[in-house]
Amino acid sequence: MNRVTPRNGVWVALWVAAVVAELLALRPVLFDHEGPIVGIDVVFTLAGGSFAAFGLIAWRRRPDSRSGALMTATGFAFFASPLLSQLDGALASTVMILLVDAWIFFFVPLILTLLSRGRLRRTFDRWLVAAYALPLVVLQVTWLLFLDQDDNLLGAFPDADIAHVIDRIQRGLLVGILATTVGVIAVRWWQASAPRRRALLPSLAGALVLGLFTVLLVNDLISGTRSQVLLWITVCSLVTVPAAFLAGLLRSRLARGGLAELFRGLGGSDLQGALAKTMGDPGLVVARWQPDRGTYTDADGRSVALPANGDDRRVALVDADGRRMAALVYDASLDDDPELVEAITMATGVALENEHLQAEAQARLVELRASRERIVAAGDAERRRLERNLHDGAQQRLVAISLQLRLLQNRIGDDPSAAALVTTASDELARSLSELRELARGLHPAVLEHGLGPALDSLASRAPVPTTVSCDVGGTVPEAVELAAFFVASEALANVAKYAGASHAAVSVTRDATSVRIEIADDGIGGADDSLGSGLRGLADRVEALDGRLFVTSPPGAGTTVTAELPCGS
Amino acid sequence: MRVVIADDNVLVRAGIAALLREAGLDVAGESGDVDDLLEDVEAHQPDVAIVDIRMPPTHSDEGLRAAQEIRARHPQMGIVILSQHVEAGVAMRALAESPERLGYLLKDRVGDLDEFVATLYRVAAGGSALDAVVVSRLLAARTDDGLEPLAPREREVLQLVAEGLSNRAVAERLGITLGSTEKYVSSIFAKLGLPDTGGEYRRVVAVLRFLHA
Repeated sequence: MNRVTPRNGVWVALWVAAVVAELLALRPVLFDHEGPIVGIDVVFTLAGGSFAAFGLIAWRRRPDSRSGALMTATGFAFFASPLLSQLDGALASTVMILLVDAWIFFFVPLILTLLSRGRLRRTFDRWLVAAYALPLVVLQVTWLLFLDQDDNLLGAFPDADIAHVIDRIQRGLLVGILATTVGVIAVRWWQASAPRRRALLPSLAGALVLGLFTVLLVNDLISGTRSQVLLWITVCSLVTVPAAFLAGLLRSRLARGGLAELFRGLGGSDLQGALAKTMGDPGLVVARWQPDRGTYTDADGRSVALPANGDDRRVALVDADGRRMAALVYDASLDDDPELVEAITMATGVALENEHLQAEAQARLVELRASRERIVAAGDAERRRLERNLHDGAQQRLVAISLQLRLLQNRIGDDPSAAALVTTASDELARSLSELRELARGLHPAVLEHGLGPALDSLASRAPVPTTVSCDVGGTVPEAVELAAFFVASEALANVAKYAGASHAAVSVTRDATSVRIEIADDGIGGADDSLGSGLRGLADRVEALDGRLFVTSPPGAGTTVTAELPCGS
Repeated sequence: MRVVIADDNVLVRAGIAALLREAGLDVAGESGDVDDLLEDVEAHQPDVAIVDIRMPPTHSDEGLRAAQEIRARHPQMGIVILSQHVEAGVAMRALAESPERLGYLLKDRVGDLDEFVATLYRVAAGGSALDAVVVSRLLAARTDDGLEPLAPREREVLQLVAEGLSNRAVAERLGITLGSTEKYVSSIFAKLGLPDTGGEYRRVVAVLRFLHA
């Protein structure tokens, strides 16, 4: 669990070293000195700790980048002179003078690595860093050779004038190289794409510090005195800039935090927008692979040509289940964080796969709805056909027979038994006709031929509970909608008669721009089961087949209302 | 009395025609669709046209439309609409506005020949006829509230009045005197708060509107 691994041991050692060094460096500034505490010294001494601490965090969190290590090294380089100055003896003093500007050796490559994904990738950059060796090593040693000072072990040819000249050359040269470095970084930032610029901001901050340092040096050279204001600004910038470096190095981690946001937004319609936002790359393109056309297209179906992997645009292929789904075209700076690109690529794969499945499910749903509508329509058509067959066939024949029986009755004369037989037959026939009528009516409400209003009036006239009808639909209503409304009313009124204990019921049909709404309300006991009776359940299926809705409200003691909303254009 | 008959079923048409001829009526024309019916009407100028409600081509409400057409051309001609089944909603559509010289009956009613012939005469004379089944349903639907004050006998009278029967016919049907029938009728109209407007078809309108309200 908390077992300290050798690797962890190294980290602990580095952290301990940094803390101890910082405390030791602060000791003379805070305690062992004459006079009041000098603020600028305190702040400057904190620079080492700041670089070391932020550097160690960055190093740990971004082991793929050299920047963390360089930051840590810069921090320890800052410790060199305050620590060595506390030792007595010429050696310490000499080494201290040698190392006083050593931090620049780490700081410059640090801001250059921040510029190019954690490594010194350009030959020019390496030469630039190497160039610092001339003033900081070669000229520094040469200067020491001539420096006339007691504790200078290298002072072989003490000569104050030569030392002064060398010092001037050294400083001038340093200013030149520093200015070049600042210029190079500024130009690269200026030329970078928008997302890359954002990525280069820490480097730019570093260049700014370097620039301030340069101005300080120039001011020293020209005026011969040190400007306290400039010093304060420079030192404060120096102490705080490691935070900016760390932020820059962890930026992609923050972007990864945005992944959660991205996954949340994946369901949305604008995948490309969501990705662009997460990646901080407004130019990001999701090119969808169209296997049937053999090309990539954007979300609107326009062809997209993938750029060659060049300096500024990169392409990542998105596969899912071994199928090519798409390609991501993104800004090259995002390669700073290959894990992020990989995560985004996978997220895109998941999103597109999801999109694909959703489209498929949607298509199936549409097909299912259409087929349900067709099934209901086919059933209705069949029942209607049966009703018509009954009406035109059996019913007509039976009516014809009853008329013929009546003719027969006229001819029987005065044979009472024969007359009785005919009368019995006629009565049986009348009953058969009546039953057939009910059967036909159950198959299909032919009264709908006269419109929904008359059909509902007829329904109400048959209802055991007094029922009023108000039907205001105007225009024509699709037959399927009329049928559904009629069946809903029929079933609902049957339920009113059976369960509601109502003294009155009201059927009302209204219509707006998009739908016909039928409502059957009673003043009965309410409390009907929400789950709908089997009769209403079947009707719900019919209503839903038309993409409509059926619902029942039935508070205990306050009557029951069955409502169906049936979509129908006006 | 001269009639024409329109029904797309040949057997039914022939049956009705035969019965009516036996009853002594002049069946001047028999047709199977609306066009032939309208021709017969023009050719024979019958007292009453007997029309099946469902006829070709769509078998929905052609008979009703034909009736409206005849009514428009010949306001004085009686029309009796026959149907395999009678619906209150259709009755309202057909009769509620103007039931004068109009009948709406189940096809089976032709079998009760005497009554049917009487109905034809009543319609030809300016009366109306609504099938007993429809009236019963309408009455049943109003049983609970509006008809509360009526005595059972008064309901019977109301039923027959709504069917379109004259006071005399009501009296004959119920085996009571004309005088007591008239008393029942005025009592009913008073109880229901209806104006007794005198004409048979007008009081049918009043009753139907009351029942349908």
